Amino acid sequence: MINPIRAWRTQKQIKHLLGKSGKIITWTTIYVTTPDFKKQAPYPVVLVEYIDGERAYGPLVNYGDCDLSIGKEVFGVLRIVRKGNSDEIIEYGIKFKPKA
Amino acid sequence: MWGRDPQEIKKSLHITEKAVAAADEDAVTMAYQSAAMALDGTSINKEEIGCMFFGSESFPYAVKPAATIVAEWLGIGHHYLAYDTQFACKAGTGALISALAMVGAGKITYGLVCAGDKGTARPQDLLEYTAGSGANAWLVGDKEVILEVIATYSFSSDTPDFWRGIKSDYPSYTGRFTGQPAYFHHVGTAAKNLMAKQALTPNDFAYAVFHMPNGKFPLQVGLSLGFSEKQVTPSLVVNQLGNSYSASSLMGLAAVLDEAKAGDKILFVSYGSGAGSDAFIFQVTRHLKKQRKSLKKQIQQKKYINYPTYLKYMDIIHEGSL
Amino acid sequence: MRTKVIGYYNSKFGELWNKSLADLIDEAIAGVLQSVRLARADIDAVFFGNMLGGILENSLFNSALIAQIMETTVPVYRLEAACASGGLAFQTATNYLKSNKNKTVLVLGAEKMTDVSVERATEALTAASAAEEQIAGLTFPGLYAMMAQVYLHQYRYDEEHLAYISVKNHYHGSLNEKAQFRKTITVDKVLASPYVAYPLKILSSSAISDGAAALILTNDPVRVKSSRSAVDVLSSEVATDCLAIKNRDSLTELYATQVAAEKAFCEAKIKRNRIDVAEVHDCFSIAEILAMEDIGFWKRGEGGKKAKEMSTQLGTNQRLVVNTSGGLKAAGHPVGATGVKQIGELFLQLTKQAKSRLVKNAHFALAHNVGGAGGMAVVSILAV
Repeated sequence: MINPIRAWRTQKQIKHLLGKSGKIITWTTIYVTTPDFKKQAPYPVVLVEYIDGERAYGPLVNYGDCDLSIGKEVFGVLRIVRKGNSDEIIEYGIKFKPKA
Repeated sequence: MWGRDPQEIKKSLHITEKAVAAADEDAVTMAYQSAAMALDGTSINKEEIGCMFFGSESFPYAVKPAATIVAEWLGIGHHYLAYDTQFACKAGTGALISALAMVGAGKITYGLVCAGDKGTARPQDLLEYTAGSGANAWLVGDKEVILEVIATYSFSSDTPDFWRGIKSDYPSYTGRFTGQPAYFHHVGTAAKNLMAKQALTPNDFAYAVFHMPNGKFPLQVGLSLGFSEKQVTPSLVVNQLGNSYSASSLMGLAAVLDEAKAGDKILFVSYGSGAGSDAFIFQVTRHLKKQRKSLKKQIQQKKYINYPTYLKYMDIIHEGSL
Repeated sequence: MRTKVIGYYNSKFGELWNKSLADLIDEAIAGVLQSVRLARADIDAVFFGNMLGGILENSLFNSALIAQIMETTVPVYRLEAACASGGLAFQTATNYLKSNKNKTVLVLGAEKMTDVSVERATEALTAASAAEEQIAGLTFPGLYAMMAQVYLHQYRYDEEHLAYISVKNHYHGSLNEKAQFRKTITVDKVLASPYVAYPLKILSSSAISDGAAALILTNDPVRVKSSRSAVDVLSSEVATDCLAIKNRDSLTELYATQVAAEKAFCEAKIKRNRIDVAEVHDCFSIAEILAMEDIGFWKRGEGGKKAKEMSTQLGTNQRLVVNTSGGLKAAGHPVGATGVKQIGELFLQLTKQAKSRLVKNAHFALAHNVGGAGGMAVVSILAV
């Protein structure tokens, strides 16, 4: 179940990551996952570190195999993070895209 | 997959390929991307944006404004009027006219208009070859404009050419009726009436941009109005992008802006089924040069997918949640 | 008088379809009391470790369930610290005995995880992670995978080095009749298994299991005198660290382990090279490697190399043997029970009851139990 109020609070905290560039400091590809993410598996998740020291987790999108590496530069984009049945709110959030 | 000859399809629809949004993209994420791109090229104070209008036929909710979702992520503050609007493929251009009117009347300083769709079509239907995904965004104001709006004209009617029911996943349409009585009648009449009002002829324009449900119709209507192929073809991105519904005609305008020069006049006519057309006469200014975005380059950044992946991206085959 | 462990019992670990959480609790309590020939009335307090009772079956208030099973009114303390629930229960019991003289207590860890799908269990286990990790789609294995990536990258090891840990622990598991997995495996088999979260393979990861384990602890001289076996608890220390791994300074070190281990060795007043046998937290092979470095048995960065040498396997004539129970990997990992099982395994070793997996002449033993991806660590040192 996606909690709309929690998603609303989260949005305020992560909005500033849109378009912000950082480097991948570690990553993994999730194969065995929870019911919410089952449809997307397998999917890569990265941990990004910014110059100002901030760090953020997020899925990686629009990537080639060579983009999944420590040190790769990525930036935050807006994507659907979770979508349930038609009665639930759609959760939008940050995912990361490799810099060209 | 459905047993048709690809060469036949290419020949009859004048479409080679189309753009499709991924499973985690929708009209909102694409509109955000476009709007962020539009704002990126300017140095305006985002909080002075007084309206946010979003045209689409694939909004994420039946009730819940998508315009404010995009606006919130853009961080434009809260002092703005917002609404979502649907009018098949011309939702965006109608909203553009409203935003222009508000700025022109001095009611707001800037207006933001987005048009975006993750175009759906019933599997196996001919429409599946053309329905595509795309979005664009337009910032309206009265300082350092890149396009001057010389005049607009709207022509509307109640015509049953193409529709989608409230509980339906896919649109329906009335075959060949979508041609002459629908598309050609509205686009042609709007273009003729606007040019007559302004006492202009096809020779006065550098470009003519028409809504692109496929690659054939816009060329046909342009030629019938007296325009040359040279004036129409620069806008025909439908060949590679498909028809992104409400974003479609404006995508043609964006393509033309890749090459238009200061002083060029552009005739632009959208079409929305149901039906109606919004016609504009634009004049390019010297400010366009600074703002060029290169749609051509973006079109080249692509990755091909197969049909099952397309069905998964469009949520036509699914199990559980996203 | 110093706290002693005088009794131990554990159920079989595995897919125990016929046992509910209550059944497992019941079995462990009855089993351990019988092994030391004590009655329920002899227990002055109970310390219970469990993580998922609330999440998976809406059964959270198990303190009262235990009171019901034991027909008692004594205090029952429920401890939860993700995978360190059992260790924390043990550590809390030792604290209790420091401030209460002549008491005998029961430490119990139990978990029931196999009634739900793998996806549901995976989801439940993410409760041990930070909100932002869950939102990003990270699973619990995903967190350790992220740490493994940095470790392998930094020290130039690969998946193969991780596989050796699984091989060793499966060999030990084959000697433990209560272990979930009794078959030995090879490095090739591990590498051929599917990924759970890259680069961690299914055969490098502990399974979803049911099980329960119980200990009797006492500081009552009379009780100790009449016990067949007794093992001294030299120290039991807890330390914590950031919940979200992104907030940590290092992704290849668990500070909680380092701090708890340092405190434990200080309190026990012995050096690391005195430890003969250890139960170390191997929820994933990488976790055992990091633990050996964090506790201080291996030098920073040499873990991959040492793992390949198999120097901590039974029968190699090296001093320190690690995870004779089979570890979490082969014995199974019923979350709340693991920390208690670790102490129990060391009890069996030090009292020479470990049968075919006995480490000869073992005098000092260490247990290391971790919660989540390192948010808490409990290190305990036992001796005879």
